Amino acid sequence: MSAEKTYVEDVDRSFYDFRFEDRDNYRVSSGLTEEIIRQISKEKHDPDWMLEFRLQSLKVFEQMPMTTWGPSIKGLDLQNIVTYVRPNTERMHAKWEEVPENIKETFERLGIPQSERESLAGVGAQYDSELVYHNVRKEVADLGVVYTDIESALRGEYADMIRERFMKLVPPTDHKFAALHGAVWSGGSFVYVPPGVTVEIPLQSYFRLNAPGAGQFEHTLIIVDKGANLHFIEGCSAPKYNVANLHAGCVELYVGENATLRYSTIENWSKNMYNLNTKRARVEKGGKVEWVSGSFGSHVSYLYPMSILKGEGARCEFTGVTFAGAGQNLDTGCKIVHDAPKTTSYVNTRSISKSGGISTFRSAVVVTAKAENSKSSVSCESLMLDDESRSDTIPVMDVRTNQADIGHEAKIGRISDEAIFYLMSRGLSEEDARALIVSGFAENVSKELPLEYAVEMNNLIRIEMKGAIG
Amino acid sequence: MANELVFIKNLSAKAEEKEILKSLSLSIGRGETHVVMGPNGAGKSTLASVLMGDPAYEVTGGSIEFDGRDIGELAVHERAKQGIFLSFQNPIEVPGISLENFVRSALERQTEKKMKIWEFRKEVKRVLETLAMDPHYAERDLNVGFSGGEKKKAEILQMLLLKPKFAILDETDSGLDVDAVRTVSKGIEEFQKDASASLLVITHNAAILSALRVDAVHILVDGRIVRTGGKELIEQVGREGFAPFLEETE
Amino acid sequence: MEKIINEPIAGTFGWLHVGGTKVTLPDEIKEQEIALAKGETKTVFLEDDGSLLSIKAKLPENAKLHLILLRRSEAAKSCFTDVRVRLEDGAEFTWHRFILGGKETYDNVSVELAGKGSRFAADLGYDLKDEEKADVNCEAIHLGKKSESRIRSFGVLAKKAGKLLRGTIDFRRGCAGSIGNETEDVLLLDDTVHNQSVPMILCTEEDVVGNHGATIGRPEERLLYYMASRGIDETQALELLSRAKLEAVLHQIPEEDIQQTIREAKGWT
Repeated sequence: MSAEKTYVEDVDRSFYDFRFEDRDNYRVSSGLTEEIIRQISKEKHDPDWMLEFRLQSLKVFEQMPMTTWGPSIKGLDLQNIVTYVRPNTERMHAKWEEVPENIKETFERLGIPQSERESLAGVGAQYDSELVYHNVRKEVADLGVVYTDIESALRGEYADMIRERFMKLVPPTDHKFAALHGAVWSGGSFVYVPPGVTVEIPLQSYFRLNAPGAGQFEHTLIIVDKGANLHFIEGCSAPKYNVANLHAGCVELYVGENATLRYSTIENWSKNMYNLNTKRARVEKGGKVEWVSGSFGSHVSYLYPMSILKGEGARCEFTGVTFAGAGQNLDTGCKIVHDAPKTTSYVNTRSISKSGGISTFRSAVVVTAKAENSKSSVSCESLMLDDESRSDTIPVMDVRTNQADIGHEAKIGRISDEAIFYLMSRGLSEEDARALIVSGFAENVSKELPLEYAVEMNNLIRIEMKGAIG
Repeated sequence: MANELVFIKNLSAKAEEKEILKSLSLSIGRGETHVVMGPNGAGKSTLASVLMGDPAYEVTGGSIEFDGRDIGELAVHERAKQGIFLSFQNPIEVPGISLENFVRSALERQTEKKMKIWEFRKEVKRVLETLAMDPHYAERDLNVGFSGGEKKKAEILQMLLLKPKFAILDETDSGLDVDAVRTVSKGIEEFQKDASASLLVITHNAAILSALRVDAVHILVDGRIVRTGGKELIEQVGREGFAPFLEETE
Repeated sequence: MEKIINEPIAGTFGWLHVGGTKVTLPDEIKEQEIALAKGETKTVFLEDDGSLLSIKAKLPENAKLHLILLRRSEAAKSCFTDVRVRLEDGAEFTWHRFILGGKETYDNVSVELAGKGSRFAADLGYDLKDEEKADVNCEAIHLGKKSESRIRSFGVLAKKAGKLLRGTIDFRRGCAGSIGNETEDVLLLDDTVHNQSVPMILCTEEDVVGNHGATIGRPEERLLYYMASRGIDETQALELLSRAKLEAVLHQIPEEDIQQTIREAKGWT
């Protein structure tokens, strides 16, 4: 009988104890003052409108509640957010010796040279990478492409172009950390590709993000004009160590008529990072945005690149892989809004959970009544590597037209023993066999990456899979 | 021409920017059975699809007259109402609708009259018996989980129940076992009993045709009819294949 | 009494409004506890009458409960049902829900597959039009080893009808060898409708297989062509397919008389 009793208490989430509507709506005073914002703005030589913008954003930030879903960010000191924005300068100039051992080891395994390691870790000067960056800049400048840091562009000849679009796709009211970004953003890239120009080599923000002080609240604004074509690569696969462990960047992409933009990211922040990044693209008639996204690092991630298909025939492709290991809670996915006829979206994601890691695929496909003859296909697969981890799939489809064709497929499972046995029978160790299978599982992303990135990504998987036999 | 049921003149059609039918002409009289043979990729199935009005193909020239009327602008279901039937190579699965209910609905739409269920059941039973098919066949969901042979048999069953004026059998005989071939042949014989019903049999093999009454044989190569003759053409193809006809394209 | 109901186990983006739904519950509450003996099989057929219906059942070893709920199209009042079931070893629960119309329908079905080899099958069929709304939350919580769940829905929406279905398969640690499948098939007949689908798979157990598939919108082009080739135009084809979708759910019910009652409620002879 006692078992019976326990049952009633345990499982009976009674019909009557519904939750009332007022949610945890706690606000904190962030310690971030108007004065601090004015100071940041002054140091950056902002135009007046930008100072206004920052102050408005601060107000929004203070008033906005946190989301009620998603991974916990309790580890963030919200009462003292100012320490993330203005860490004491001594800590900013971290020493190589202070970089955590696991990161140093990863550098070692990836075979990254010493000078690069220091700059990646955010502690060194920018010898080689600055040079490469300048070279790339010159090459594309000859095509009429603008590739520069956004702060100086804000004061230059593209000032109006930026003002028209800055945080228009991702308004500060979008969510609490978008507002924070609006108030304290710093550094980032501005790219403009003129009509009809195809940029043959991928542009890599890796070189920019390593600039001192950048990479935490950086803003990326890319405009690909009519018929132009660009591949932009953000980040790199070596871990970026940052003493201040909050990243609230923002990426805004404007894809013009018949233009194509591929935006690739291999995100591998060190594992103390709260990565609360917001990315969004607006695609005009006949244009196409392609997202290639690998999430490996961070302690906590909230990352859902959004594509707004605004013009007839606009397209979106999203290819993603998320690998959550020990101590990681990576909540990733994408959002797509079909808001014009004949728009198409194609989503293909994989997620892997291991050693207590949590990975969540979260998506939203919204099809408005305007989107007749549109198509959307979402496929997500999850792999559980052990039984201490967690893997969730949380998609939403919101459809308001009958003239569309919306499909969704999700699968969850584990590596089959037969597959391991088969590979081992051909001479692979169990560890290698598992790593090989996981690499194959993540191939949807690696095959979309430039070769050197694909190689590094597979190296990363191998590193993550070390000692994964349990 | 008045006696022709199907009159195709200089018909050209393309799919996905590729021209497949190139000014093809062909006419079929009432009560006649014609055979179209040709190598793979000649355009045989395209001809069948275009006659039915498949939206996957675009007619770029020429005309199709059926029963004295130009049907080029008619929607697919209108063509069916006029009395055209196509036996599909790969019939679509329709979960939740039994074969019997599907055919009954189709007949009601075509004739615009309510069917008496019992009479219809009797008719279904009679046709199933003629074809020596399992009586439970009609209760199964249309084509769902049917084998290739079963799907073809179900198409023939529909043909006999719908009683079209003109039936097109698109490779209905391909990939069938002996038993299914027998059912299909039996079905065709049964259909031919109606003296005014016309038939177009599209095939690339001769086996099924041996026992059949055939009025004309057309060889289709590269989107055109390159030779028209009698049953002797079937034997020639059986002996020599299509090689002798390929030279006739130019 | 204002409450938030049908709140799924996991939440998501707030702007989509697919979390719980705020409603005013009726004062009259009908509670029903269904008790079965070990190995007993029982079928319960109920029709909504606009009250709040709360059904609880504990199914001991190898017991089988088949619950069939019918919502008639002419029902004018909002209707709330809440079904909570716990399954012991080898127990089976089948939930058949027909929403043939009615202004607003709220359904919650939450099943704990606690026992080894327990099974849960959910079949939802709906046909909504004229601003009718259905809001459904269905949860299969796998606790026991080798438990199996299957959530299936077929439905049709027309003329400003709205449907929100949250279907969750939750594999909890320890439910090794379990399988969960969810399929959803929605036919939308015009562009005034609103369909929301939230098919979640939550998982903290390695040794499981979970699948979800959904198709929303128009039937395939080739299917419409095939039907047209037999003389059935698009409007008629959609009508036929709508009926087919509900029939497919009906066929799952072994009791002919219950099937017939539902057909008659739909006006099918």
